[in-house]
Amino acid sequence: MNIHINTPEGTRDRLFSECLERRQVQSALVGLFRRRGYTEVITPEVEFYDLFVQSGNPIPQEAMLKIIDRSGRIMVMRPDCTAPIARVAATKLKHLALPQRLYYDQTVFRDRTAHAGGSREIAQCGVEMIGAIGGKADLEMVAMAVDALRACGLKQFHIELGHAGFYRTLAGRMKMPQEEQERLRGAIEGKNFALLNDLLEPYRGQDACAALRRLPYLFGGAEVLVEAEALAGPYDSLDYLRRLYGELSAAGYEECVRFDLGLVHQLDYYTGVVFRGYAEGAGAPVLSGGRYDGLMGQFGRKAEAIGFAVDVDAVGACLTVEAPKLETVIHYEPGLLARALAVVDGRPSGSCELSPCRTLDSTMNLAREKGAARVLVIDSEGERWLMI
Amino acid sequence: MSERLRIALTKGRLQDKSVELFEAMGLDCAPVRNPGRRLIHALPNYPLDAVLAKAPDVITYVEHGVCDLGVVGKDTILEKGGAFYEVLDLGFGRCRFALAVKRGTDFYGTYKTRRVASKYPNVTRAFFEGKGMDVDIIKIEGSVELAPILDLADGIVDIVETGATLKENGLEPIEDVAQVSARLIVNTVSMKLYKNEITDFLSRVERELGGKA
Repeated sequence: MNIHINTPEGTRDRLFSECLERRQVQSALVGLFRRRGYTEVITPEVEFYDLFVQSGNPIPQEAMLKIIDRSGRIMVMRPDCTAPIARVAATKLKHLALPQRLYYDQTVFRDRTAHAGGSREIAQCGVEMIGAIGGKADLEMVAMAVDALRACGLKQFHIELGHAGFYRTLAGRMKMPQEEQERLRGAIEGKNFALLNDLLEPYRGQDACAALRRLPYLFGGAEVLVEAEALAGPYDSLDYLRRLYGELSAAGYEECVRFDLGLVHQLDYYTGVVFRGYAEGAGAPVLSGGRYDGLMGQFGRKAEAIGFAVDVDAVGACLTVEAPKLETVIHYEPGLLARALAVVDGRPSGSCELSPCRTLDSTMNLAREKGAARVLVIDSEGERWLMI
Repeated sequence: MSERLRIALTKGRLQDKSVELFEAMGLDCAPVRNPGRRLIHALPNYPLDAVLAKAPDVITYVEHGVCDLGVVGKDTILEKGGAFYEVLDLGFGRCRFALAVKRGTDFYGTYKTRRVASKYPNVTRAFFEGKGMDVDIIKIEGSVELAPILDLADGIVDIVETGATLKENGLEPIEDVAQVSARLIVNTVSMKLYKNEITDFLSRVERELGGKA
């Protein structure tokens, strides 16, 4: 029989500094979430496939890792944390007063095309605020998204805001067949200017056309709101973003907040403000979130909801975390364990360890092999250092 | 602070055309023309570094953000897909995907499931799915024209430029599947983080393309 010694594609063993990166990001995020009054929820790694179909969150079927259980039911490795948490909030938490502030720190699983360099396991750490309408709840959430990336130790990053309502109203004004509307949305999401121009050409007389044509360019500072208004006229969603930005600025967040009115992904899911976090050194967004007021209703309890998730390892990869280096090996005589442990516990983690060897010679060899700088001998006469 | 951008160019004809375009924009492309043993070519008079890659790799590099920009054919984009911004149609490298069959055969006039050979199975699948038609797709790596000649397939979906190769082999294009040309693609995060640098480059390209039109 062959012994399998490899891990499946898209999975990996994480070693040493990779673990430190992940744990550092997780503890920074969890610390922040808990300070802000969020409590943890842990949901099963395996859920019914139907849950994620029901949620209306468009995770493609082929991106879910499926398992058939013994009674023939289709299960999936959790591809997303929001739907399970909405399920919990709509059922087990239904007697608790709203809003509920919940956080999670779990892995999601996505099946990927082979050899594309993507991971099938994604460590996600995120929050959901359930049962609070926009305004202050959105403000709190966006501010926390900025604080979250800052707490992780990122230096160059920003959060980009968009609004699902802006595109929806704008596109709603176009007299255009349904399937073309979907192609239009795709062209805007992909900033495909060539396709967008082609699609809009037959409708150039319509008044929303000019704004739609410019939509992929409408990202950057607060000036894009002004430009959008000049093109499209007054919109509640633009007004809303402007007020949100005003309040974020008053709280000192303006440096880290920008806009992308072309954020038009998953429009059947998001109902209000949407946002993404970008960091220098990461090839894809490291944070993603928004308002989905329709989701809870899918699980039988109507309630507004907003949340975001951080891709923990993507953030971790932007940081430089060094694994600690072993410096000291301790050789102690029988009966002196307590003294030896006191020394180990008093030093930085990973810089010092006990030798399991009986003779000092073996300990010296061990220290040499492990690349330690010195050996601390603890015996009845006291302590002495031996350099390697 | 101005960042140096990195661009991946598809090796071969698109590379030559890209270099012509950049030179017309006033960029000194001597390092790309005389690459020597270097793999990354820094342009001396514009903050741009170029790397050369096979078409699908251009997408891979841009998607992962190790290159900010890329020049790649729409054929590769349609076949491989991916998450990036497809910002400009560069106009060169024009050709089309077409469905071709043996001259004189009626591809659609049967209830039998048709078999189609292609180097581009995803493009082929999307095309027939759009028609609501089931076909057997068979992937061929080399000269696809051979498949219908050997009666392995009823038709092919392939890149057609002049149609001369098809004609010589007794095949004829019966339907266009998609138009193809070179596209400028941008990594989604680079677009946001280096907005000024990328917008400057894009507007230079647009100005040059506009001038030609």
